[in-house]
Amino acid sequence: MQRFAFSITVLIWAAVYAGLKLLVSPPVPTSVVTMYMVLTVIGTLIFVAANEARFAHFVAPIRSVFTGEAPRAVQVVVLVAIPAAVAWVTYQRVVPSADAPFEARVVHPEPPASFPLHGKRMEVAGLANPLRSTGPELRKRIAEGKTVYFRNCFFCHGDTLAGDGHFAGAFLPIPGNFRDVGTISMLQESYVFWRVATGGRGLPKGATPWNSAMPVWQNFLTEDEMWKVILYIYDASGSTPRTWDEAVSHAKH
Amino acid sequence: MRSTERRSRRHYLAATLAACAALAAGVFAAPPRPEVKMEPVKPAPVAADPAAGKALYERHCAQCHGEQGKGDGPAADLVYPRPRDFTLALYKVRSTPTGQLPTDQDLYRAISEGLPGTSMPPWKKYLSEAERWQLVHQVKTFDVLDLFRDEPQKARIAVGSPPRITPELLARGKDLYESKKCGQCHGQYGRGDGTSADQMKDDWGFPIRPVNFTKGWRFRAGDRVEDIYRTFTTGFNGTPMPSFVDAIPAAEDRWALAAYVKSLVRSQKTGHVLKARFHAGAIPADPWAAAWEKAGYVDFLLAGQIIIEPRWFTPAHDVITARALYNGREIAILVEWDDGTHNRGGAKPADEVELQFPARPDTGDERPYFVLGDRKNPVELWRWNAGKGLTRLIAEGADRLREERDGGIAAEGTYRDGQYRVIFRRALVPESKDALRFEPGRFVPVAFHLRDGDAGEEGLKMAVSAWYYVIAELPTPVTAYLWPLVLGLATVGGEIWLLRQLRRRKGVAA
Repeated sequence: MQRFAFSITVLIWAAVYAGLKLLVSPPVPTSVVTMYMVLTVIGTLIFVAANEARFAHFVAPIRSVFTGEAPRAVQVVVLVAIPAAVAWVTYQRVVPSADAPFEARVVHPEPPASFPLHGKRMEVAGLANPLRSTGPELRKRIAEGKTVYFRNCFFCHGDTLAGDGHFAGAFLPIPGNFRDVGTISMLQESYVFWRVATGGRGLPKGATPWNSAMPVWQNFLTEDEMWKVILYIYDASGSTPRTWDEAVSHAKH
Repeated sequence: MRSTERRSRRHYLAATLAACAALAAGVFAAPPRPEVKMEPVKPAPVAADPAAGKALYERHCAQCHGEQGKGDGPAADLVYPRPRDFTLALYKVRSTPTGQLPTDQDLYRAISEGLPGTSMPPWKKYLSEAERWQLVHQVKTFDVLDLFRDEPQKARIAVGSPPRITPELLARGKDLYESKKCGQCHGQYGRGDGTSADQMKDDWGFPIRPVNFTKGWRFRAGDRVEDIYRTFTTGFNGTPMPSFVDAIPAAEDRWALAAYVKSLVRSQKTGHVLKARFHAGAIPADPWAAAWEKAGYVDFLLAGQIIIEPRWFTPAHDVITARALYNGREIAILVEWDDGTHNRGGAKPADEVELQFPARPDTGDERPYFVLGDRKNPVELWRWNAGKGLTRLIAEGADRLREERDGGIAAEGTYRDGQYRVIFRRALVPESKDALRFEPGRFVPVAFHLRDGDAGEEGLKMAVSAWYYVIAELPTPVTAYLWPLVLGLATVGGEIWLLRQLRRRKGVAA
């Protein structure tokens, strides 16, 4: 194994890079890839350098290029590639970029203590879905929620709640994907209700309310309709909301 | 000598016979038979499980296609085109001759791949193969005439693979496009703007428009040459699009036409930044000038304005294309979009486009609300109306728009061959301190609004975009080339040094 220290190291770097680039979705920002690659390179080098014989095997191929022992073609390729890579990276750094400026955005901002709803104020603490029940009427409410969803929400959030409706491509940020475990399944229904009722305009500044295409649904829907559509999106995405008890236990741990 | 004579006589005889035969064929024979190769249909690989099919249908399809398959679910009147009504078993996307039923595979393909340009998604993303086959069986149960049961499709059209695309083939396709009058509906350049494009209806009496051949991403049956060929051969049942097997009997000719239509398709290039390229000299007023071609384009996707009443769920336009140029004095933004009808006002509203910018040049990290701003953070609108021309407005929300003086903006619009091209111009950096500034290197937020008068779009009934950026691109400075050169050479120097060191040491060791 030691004899192939150099090849194995390079293969590991290539594998980690390919994994970050190809296997992770959504795509990882370049800065994060760079960070992971630096850590990978440092880690492997420390491992290689920990053993003298391994280190010697690692350095040998590099050394052979400079001492002239490597095949002529390899010498030429390596000696040309190194300065070319340096020049390319430098060029990328200094050339003026016209990529869109990065805009930080809080995805799940802290909800307010209370928010306005149809002329009254709703307290968020302890707010639960009044229509969530265990009786047979639940199916009926979910079915009604489905109708609300398909007359109001599906254009952006899609037939299967994956955030890929036929309007989704036109908006930035893209509509939420309720099938993703990072969205409604980690939120309480009170939070979802706040987001539905006050829409993009109700977001705090850090969450770029001016970009959100989420309508202020209390302008179009009754309180019951909003609670029903919330029942539907949890049911159809196969997720369960976090409850206040859970939140308390989370806070304790 | 004799034998040559005999041979030539035989040739003469053969030629005469051939000429007679050809003449006879020309006079007596029926028109050439359509050349359509058929192949047997494979049976559905999954047997029907009516209970499972019904449950899947109710969960995933009924919202648009309705509980009874009549195309009347709760979302049906909020999408365009309307969802398919399954009761008459009339299907557009098929592999079977005109007027016939689709095969099970055809239905499976439509469910799996979805229908581009509609709200029908590709279900292969969410449902297993077995589930999709159950839906095929379920959809067939809505056929009130029992056609699927009584005369199931036994053969389908064998498409085969397309011929090599050559200039001759495309030229032949273009001739056919003209001689078969494709342009009458689809327009001379395929933008869906033909003279009979208006007032078309489908078999249900709903208005329908011919497809725009430049927007391949909206072709219901796919935009590969094979797909287009299949569509010419099968026609779209229930729509004014006929099968062309009788009009163009030779398969080779249909391939030529398919290849030509494919050549009209442009590629969609979406992006977040509209870069204005530097243009030495006056920016051309002709939107078809070569400089605009060279400037490149960005497609910005649009969606219906469904945030403020009156909400608009079925926008006519799905995309607006923009180009930009600047010189030492001014910036010019060219927007273009395809529209089959040229409405300048009157019975129907006039077609209209708006560029939206923040009204204040420096809003820090905050931006105006992306649809018409608000009281705190207003937006500036550059509106061009096909009837009235340019207006400049300030909006502090949808309910508070006011007209302003033009602020040094100019706009010139033209409509040609089914396409609008409008050029907006303004000084890069105006004298007024609180006006928008476009100095090179500065990102300026921009959004787009588009209205199609023919579809009754006006005011908030419009297509909107998110915020994007326009930037006058900084020219690449010399240092951008100098630094790489210097560092590259330094690396070469380092290599030479290392080379010498190691070789000398090797020499010593030896």
